[in-house]
Amino acid sequence: MRKAMVLFACLFAGTVWASEQHGEEHGATPQGVHGVANEDQDAEGDDVAGYILHHVSDSNEYEFEVPLSRNHIPIHLPRILIPFHEGACTPVADTHGGHGEVYPSLGQGCLDLSITKHTVMMWLAALLLIGALMIWSNRDKTKLVPRGAGANLFEMLVLFVRDELAIKNIGKEEGPRYVPYLLTAFFFILFMNLLGLFPWMATATGNIAITCGLALCTFFVTQAAGIRAAGIGGYLKHLTGGVAPWLWPIMIPVEFLGLFTKPFALTIRLFANMLAGHIVIFFLLGLIFMLRNPAVALVSVPFAFGIYLLELFVAFVQAYVFTMLSALFIGMSVAMGHHDDHHHEGGESHDHGKAHHLG
Amino acid sequence: MFLPSVLAASSFVEVRPGLIFWTIVTFVIVLLVLRAKAWGPILSLVEEREKQISNAIESAKRERAEAEKLLADQKTAIAEARREAAETTRRVQADMEKFRDELMAKSRKEAEELKLSARREIEDQKAKAIAEVRSMAVDLAMEVAGKLMNERMDDAKHRALAEQFVQGLPGATSATATRRSA
Repeated sequence: MRKAMVLFACLFAGTVWASEQHGEEHGATPQGVHGVANEDQDAEGDDVAGYILHHVSDSNEYEFEVPLSRNHIPIHLPRILIPFHEGACTPVADTHGGHGEVYPSLGQGCLDLSITKHTVMMWLAALLLIGALMIWSNRDKTKLVPRGAGANLFEMLVLFVRDELAIKNIGKEEGPRYVPYLLTAFFFILFMNLLGLFPWMATATGNIAITCGLALCTFFVTQAAGIRAAGIGGYLKHLTGGVAPWLWPIMIPVEFLGLFTKPFALTIRLFANMLAGHIVIFFLLGLIFMLRNPAVALVSVPFAFGIYLLELFVAFVQAYVFTMLSALFIGMSVAMGHHDDHHHEGGESHDHGKAHHLG
Repeated sequence: MFLPSVLAASSFVEVRPGLIFWTIVTFVIVLLVLRAKAWGPILSLVEEREKQISNAIESAKRERAEAEKLLADQKTAIAEARREAAETTRRVQADMEKFRDELMAKSRKEAEELKLSARREIEDQKAKAIAEVRSMAVDLAMEVAGKLMNERMDDAKHRALAEQFVQGLPGATSATATRRSA
């Protein structure tokens, strides 16, 4: 709790200083502490909104905001552009009249593989995850009893994912096969979510591209599980919905669409949850500058602190929900193969997860 | 006032294909590294532990059942031994009783026999003595009678007469009386 409060204080301080400095960049005298207001309410509001958007969105540079000063140290990250044809990646002027040049999109034949702020955060989370597991995982086979809080915590979470998510949703027979995938998804998302709560860090899962990437992984695993369980023929047959051939023109698009709504729901759920919490925290703090009264801090800081704690909880809940839904989708795919078996052999084994009842 | 700017700026709803690519690459790398270095060992360890625990529980149950069986066996064995001991004691006691009875009976019989034979002996001796006394009395009486009569008599005729006389006397008690009277 005390650590969380210290973290929060740091975050809060960083935000305040960053806001001040941001205000200055745009030619406005800093608000609040200086008490001089040059801009009108709307412009200031826009400024705060702009700052928040800038903070939560991805960028090609990582800005290290120096505490107790108005500076930030930008670290420019490498741009990697892969043109599909000659000259496809030459920068063009921003059509929206924004800041300078933009690079052409994928549709125009340029694949932008630039390292961005969120990419860096994702890698940091991945390294932290691997490091934490290397340090705290109990890998000594001679000592079967876990020792230490770290090892116990990880083991508890691992067992939770294995027993409550994998085996309950996929079944006892097929479940263990997908446990490593589910564990990786759970911990990777959890670490990215938690990393975003540290000062100077950003929430990689608050970026729709990253959640989309994760959902695509689940999508591939789900389809692979379906094909593995039912075979290619059974998998394609399942796409027809098992109805009379004359209904196929209706069923195939519906089933096909159904394949993509699941990962889409995963994408949006995780992205929106992580983004929304951060925006709420920033707006609560931004309220101090928008209302130009330091007294607002008395209200908004405790509120922001509460939301921060909520975010801490949401970080776990969203990692859990993503993993649980992944397990459920995999379970449904696996069940799809077993349904065909049931038609031929009757019930050979009923030891499957609840996904069988849903699927 | 915020919403338009939010929507206009909407850089966070822009899906960058590069980032998707990096996400998948990172995820796959993390998956492979962790599966090799963390999940495999942790899961096998957990399974190992679960197996050991269930084995321990199983063996504890088995041992308990075995111990209970052994205890029951012991109890029955003890009861058996106790019963046997009681049986033996009883048998020994009975044997002793019988033996003593036999011994008693035998010794009593022997004593009886001894008494009987002694009595018979006494009877015999008495009878013999009585007969002797009688014959002596007869001789004595003959001698006395001969001397008294002073007359020679036919020995055989007188003897028969005397014997007839003696025969006429009453039993054993009368013998002394006879002798006294003689």
